[in-house]
Amino acid sequence: MKTYLCLVRREFWENRAIWIMPCCIGGALVIAALSGHVEIAQADLPEQNRSVAAMALFAFGAVFYIALSIYSCWYLLECLYADRKDRSVLFWKSMPVSDTATVLSKLFVGLIAIPAVYFAVADLSTLLMAGIVSARTSLAGALWQPKFWLQLQVLWVYAILTSAIWYLPVCGWLLVVSAWAKRAVVLWAILPPLAAILVERLFTGTHVIANMVNGRLFGYRHAAFYDPTQHHEWSMRAGDPAAALAGVGSPLGLGSFLSNPETWIGALCGAGLIAVAVQLRMRRAEA
Amino acid sequence: MPPLIQARGLAKRFGKQIALDHVDFAVEPGRIVGLIGPNGAGKTTALRAILGLASYEGELEVLGREPFGARALLMREATFIADVAVLPAWLRVEQAVEFVAGVHPRFRRERAQELLAKAEIAGARRIGALSKGMRTMVHLALTMAIDARLLVLDEPTLGLDILARRGFYDALVNDYMDETRTILITTHQVEEVENLLTDVIFIDRGRIVLDCSVEDIGARYAAVAVAEDKVIAARAEHPFYERPMLGKKVLYFEQPDFDKLAAFGEVVAPTVADLFVAKVSEGRAA
Repeated sequence: MKTYLCLVRREFWENRAIWIMPCCIGGALVIAALSGHVEIAQADLPEQNRSVAAMALFAFGAVFYIALSIYSCWYLLECLYADRKDRSVLFWKSMPVSDTATVLSKLFVGLIAIPAVYFAVADLSTLLMAGIVSARTSLAGALWQPKFWLQLQVLWVYAILTSAIWYLPVCGWLLVVSAWAKRAVVLWAILPPLAAILVERLFTGTHVIANMVNGRLFGYRHAAFYDPTQHHEWSMRAGDPAAALAGVGSPLGLGSFLSNPETWIGALCGAGLIAVAVQLRMRRAEA
Repeated sequence: MPPLIQARGLAKRFGKQIALDHVDFAVEPGRIVGLIGPNGAGKTTALRAILGLASYEGELEVLGREPFGARALLMREATFIADVAVLPAWLRVEQAVEFVAGVHPRFRRERAQELLAKAEIAGARRIGALSKGMRTMVHLALTMAIDARLLVLDEPTLGLDILARRGFYDALVNDYMDETRTILITTHQVEEVENLLTDVIFIDRGRIVLDCSVEDIGARYAAVAVAEDKVIAARAEHPFYERPMLGKKVLYFEQPDFDKLAAFGEVVAPTVADLFVAKVSEGRAA
């Protein structure tokens, strides 16, 4: 356990972007709130106000989530390659740390730790921003709605955990490339699946691989949420606190996510790929 | 005591190229062994196998374990410095100490800090901002603070200036080596380590051409500087290598008959460097 803690801390030392990037996004939001025109204050009805405010908070969360997805992919693709490239792998491997522990620590950072940092920074900056906007518009609580905020917390935690499971095969693949490629990790991550899709299409005329890749990359919302388009309506319907609490989980399709065989087939493939990445890590000492 | 490292029929090939051709050797505890060979001889391949960094064929036991697949366990009692400057540039010196202290059960933090203070290296500095010589000293300080039974050094001073090289080996011999430890060094700069070693293993083209303790060299080998007129007579004693030197020829003999050789000139024990050149050249001529 102590070893894993050290390994995770080491990732934070190496990848300062884990903190810096979300802080930049958060900082930009706060600055915008401080200096920009506050249009939402002009909405007439309190109900409308709230709706707009909720959507704004949700949109800011989405900005963080998109940045997070891109950064996490980049991190996973780079993490096992970077120390082979600068040869520091020869130092890390002189420590009594197994390759399994190394790979798992990086997977944990990419799937849980980085999202948790983004979540924390997103929370902090949207709270700050809501406070600033509310103060500036003299509409107390224009952006600050405890109920919706609570729902947003649940949403974040749910999204972090379910996407960690859903995207496990993608992460596994990125780690395999990161552990194996001698150069051009981005190309190696993209080209082989692309080639497989083209070859399949050329020789059999089918789209099995294409559908699999497509379903995994873009099927998450469908797999994890009942109806993502209805999302902001859900937050509005929660009129009183009790209902709000009860309604917190309503759009989250946890049951269907967990009972979906695709979730677990994917997770299994992911575990297999991670095992391959560990084996490659054992054998490759240099880029 | 059983050997610390025991290799039997150790082999490794990369495609068609044979890097190690079924070699046998053993490293006894308490020794400083030089694994010496030209570039591409198979030194690094052998070390990688010993350290569990690569797979191999044949039998290999290091500290009673098969290294491949058991690297993490092995690294509790063995450690290595592979090449200079492998510490990552982004790492701060104090972070390096912190990390090793966190993952290594046999690391003594105070010892590392003491050594770093002696080398006048501040903890807040990043490795990337240090000179190559200082980086090596940081790595050496970290390594020397680990209470390991086996230390493996792979070309540890490559690219360092003479002062840094001296500093490195002085620290190693004076502040680290004792009878409980064993050091295995690979290098192709023989002169630099020859006064340090207790044993030498010469390796060329994936094969071992000599495996001998330094103190036995004088008994097993002889070099004689022979004047031109006596060369033909001296050749009858089967030298395995000869080279010209200042109008004379230096002839090298294995299992020499010292009494007979004395007739041709002064008989001396060859230096490790000379013996290395002689043995490798002999192997290549054959």
